[in-house]
Amino acid sequence: MTTRFWLPILLLLICQIVGAQEAESEQSNSNQGRISGNLQLNGNFFMRDAKIGAANIPQYDRQLFGTDSWLNLNYQNWGFDMGIRFDMFNNSNLLNPTGSYSGVGIGRWYVSKKIHKLGITGGYIYDIIGSGIIFRAYEERALAIDQALYGIRTTYDLGDKWRIKALVGRQKQQFDHYASVLRGGSVDGFIGSDSSKVSLAPGFGVMARTLDDNSMNNLVATLNTYTKADVLAMFPDTIGKEGPSYNAFTASAYNTLTAGPFSWYIEGAVKSKEVFFDPFGKRITAAGDTVVGRYLNKAGSVIYTSLSFSKKGLGLTVEGKRTENFDFRTRPQEVGVRGLMHYIPPMTRVNTYRLPARYAAATQFVGEQAFQVDASYAVNKKLSLSANYSHIDNLDGLKLYRELYTEVYYKYKRKWTLTTGVQLQHYNLDVYFGKPGAAPANTITPYFDFLYKFNPKTSIRFESQYMSMSEDKTELADYGSWVFGLVEFTLAPHWALTVSDMYNIEPGKISPVDAATGKKEKIHYPRFDVFYTYKANRLSLSYVKQVEGVVCSGGICRLEPAFSGVKMSINSTF
Amino acid sequence: MKNHILFLFAAAMLFSACDEVSPIVTGSMGDNTGGGPVENQLRQVLIEEFTGVRCVQCPGGSIAIEELLGIHGEQLVAVSIHAGDFAPPYNDSKYDFRTDEGDQIINYLEKPAGYPSAVVNRKKFDGQFNLQLNQGDWAGSIASELALAPKVRINIEPNYDLASRQLTAAVTLFVDEAITEPDVHLSIMITESGIVDKQITPAGINTAYVHKHALRGMLTNWDGDPITESMTPGAEIEKTYTFTLPDGWVPEKCEIVAFVSLAGTDKDVLQAHQVHLVE
Repeated sequence: MTTRFWLPILLLLICQIVGAQEAESEQSNSNQGRISGNLQLNGNFFMRDAKIGAANIPQYDRQLFGTDSWLNLNYQNWGFDMGIRFDMFNNSNLLNPTGSYSGVGIGRWYVSKKIHKLGITGGYIYDIIGSGIIFRAYEERALAIDQALYGIRTTYDLGDKWRIKALVGRQKQQFDHYASVLRGGSVDGFIGSDSSKVSLAPGFGVMARTLDDNSMNNLVATLNTYTKADVLAMFPDTIGKEGPSYNAFTASAYNTLTAGPFSWYIEGAVKSKEVFFDPFGKRITAAGDTVVGRYLNKAGSVIYTSLSFSKKGLGLTVEGKRTENFDFRTRPQEVGVRGLMHYIPPMTRVNTYRLPARYAAATQFVGEQAFQVDASYAVNKKLSLSANYSHIDNLDGLKLYRELYTEVYYKYKRKWTLTTGVQLQHYNLDVYFGKPGAAPANTITPYFDFLYKFNPKTSIRFESQYMSMSEDKTELADYGSWVFGLVEFTLAPHWALTVSDMYNIEPGKISPVDAATGKKEKIHYPRFDVFYTYKANRLSLSYVKQVEGVVCSGGICRLEPAFSGVKMSINSTF
Repeated sequence: MKNHILFLFAAAMLFSACDEVSPIVTGSMGDNTGGGPVENQLRQVLIEEFTGVRCVQCPGGSIAIEELLGIHGEQLVAVSIHAGDFAPPYNDSKYDFRTDEGDQIINYLEKPAGYPSAVVNRKKFDGQFNLQLNQGDWAGSIASELALAPKVRINIEPNYDLASRQLTAAVTLFVDEAITEPDVHLSIMITESGIVDKQITPAGINTAYVHKHALRGMLTNWDGDPITESMTPGAEIEKTYTFTLPDGWVPEKCEIVAFVSLAGTDKDVLQAHQVHLVE
């Protein structure tokens, strides 16, 4: 079926590519069509290191090498946009960091055409409604997320400023699709003119999911293992008369108000009552045992707002969010990053330095109330200051995450720049890492980043951070305290070399123990990188020893095991 | 204006199906059928749970399996395999539940992406990436497997000598339906329940945790022994295995688990069965 489906598209595309190339050679000045694309290729050579936990998966034990690759081609002609993407995973640890996955095929294709005011797209579609709270189909390769909607999208322009959109399809699941059917739409507009200082960008969206029979049968079988009291609590309209709903509905209203230097976004979303999984919910079994993790049958809501002010070097953003029972998946059995149909904006800054980024707060879909304040001020052309504060609790007031991040940036002529500051963090290991009874990690992390330019093409950069960890009873929490150092030498425009080391200077509760001495080991995690850039092509070769941790993208996170080995990558755009 | 009306109509259509006929949820039924003599043996399903003493969420999975055993009785055969990243014992653990066979099996069936995780009848179910199933998929997968008739029935006759600790297990396969796959294996496992040892739980470390159905060893190769006899309807295939129980295993708490499975690209378990090592 799959072959039957994509083969004609592939042939069509090849014909178009050949045709386009011929046309280009014969009529170099004509405007026939345009082809573009990009390649991302990652190769991992696995080098076993049992001491840090980089062991006991097929790649370390026997496969030794794995690749992930995406080759994307887009072609435009006659008012059509079309594209195809070849995906390849060979002994890959991307989908399951502790497993091995292999699969090769067409990961995406699409054809799009605008006919006057009507826009039509078929194939694998990436799209978003509002800020994504009720629907976001997107790709995040680092987390193996590919939530493309396999279906049809139509849009219709109502004048210059309003657009209606309708979507229907099923969510992609690697080279297959989930069986649940998704449908929805939105209307988005703009009120105001380019010259006016005040404008509105209102919108309204809806999204619905119809569960497939297999998933429902599976769900019912699981709920039938619950006690009758539990079932009665979930479906109070008498057992046998009410059950889980095949159909779940969400709706969202949103608006951006822009008035001079102010910009205010607000979105409110609701979800109909449906069965979803609460990983922290508890239930008592018939035998009297307590189980953590259970299904709930509840309606949900999210309210999110963001107010920004920007003028003369001063930038200020205040964000707030409240989430309740808003885990919306293509089937409720999916967990982690799988099967999510939506995206809820995180309430934390995106940290890029190694140690400040170590403890990232994953978005909590079942319950979260949070706010964030971000301020920046450019004192003059040389000096700027910024600070960020994040505050996240669950709905019962349990403290989940706090972060205060400060930054001072100083630029001396074109010779050198210094970025420095300190991060204070409170991180609930119990909730975010699933480590019951673990004391929260309270960290203090000063850092600096110094860039010195020998000349416009040659520079050297030093980066260093120290993370001081709080105690958990008699030991330091989690892995304890760390120090990190990096030196990067750049020879523009082609070469960059980095050497770094992350050192567990004061091991903590879960740091590895030396079998010989019985003491916690102070382990080095070195890394060497070579980057070569030529026009839009970038090659890298890295030796990496990496401690286990959390990898996040926009609040969507997963635990990543330790890594030991050599990584190579090719990124090319053409 | 006409377009606005069309949109509102479409939106109304989207939400019009609010009235639906929901499936019935009854809560735990506990029918406990499927036992008795081999002549009447029904489909018996194997669930292999992957666990470890350092796996905080795994006790929840074990409880879920006990619930499923309460519902399906002898039609469900549970094996808890301590293997993977969470399986290494604590320094003060009394036992190391890891086995060579368990390490081989977890690689053979692929490591779970998260825990709790289990494999039901070593089958790749529709809509799944691989054989490993989240806890939310166990009950439904078991139910769909139980709906099938067994192609082969299994009888196990254990004979245990208390003095020598030697076990002799006579296993007979009664083929009811032709099995044409070229590579079919018979696996025999020993599991033990009631073992008290340290386990992390959501409430913290429990030093008095009772481990159940722990895979202790196998009488066959880790992926079973090939069945070379023709598996035509009416065929009866007899195999006898002997094994000396290591010290520390409590025979009264042990079970013998036998199952017939494919051993090619598909690894489906065709039938499972278990008996007490000591009646």
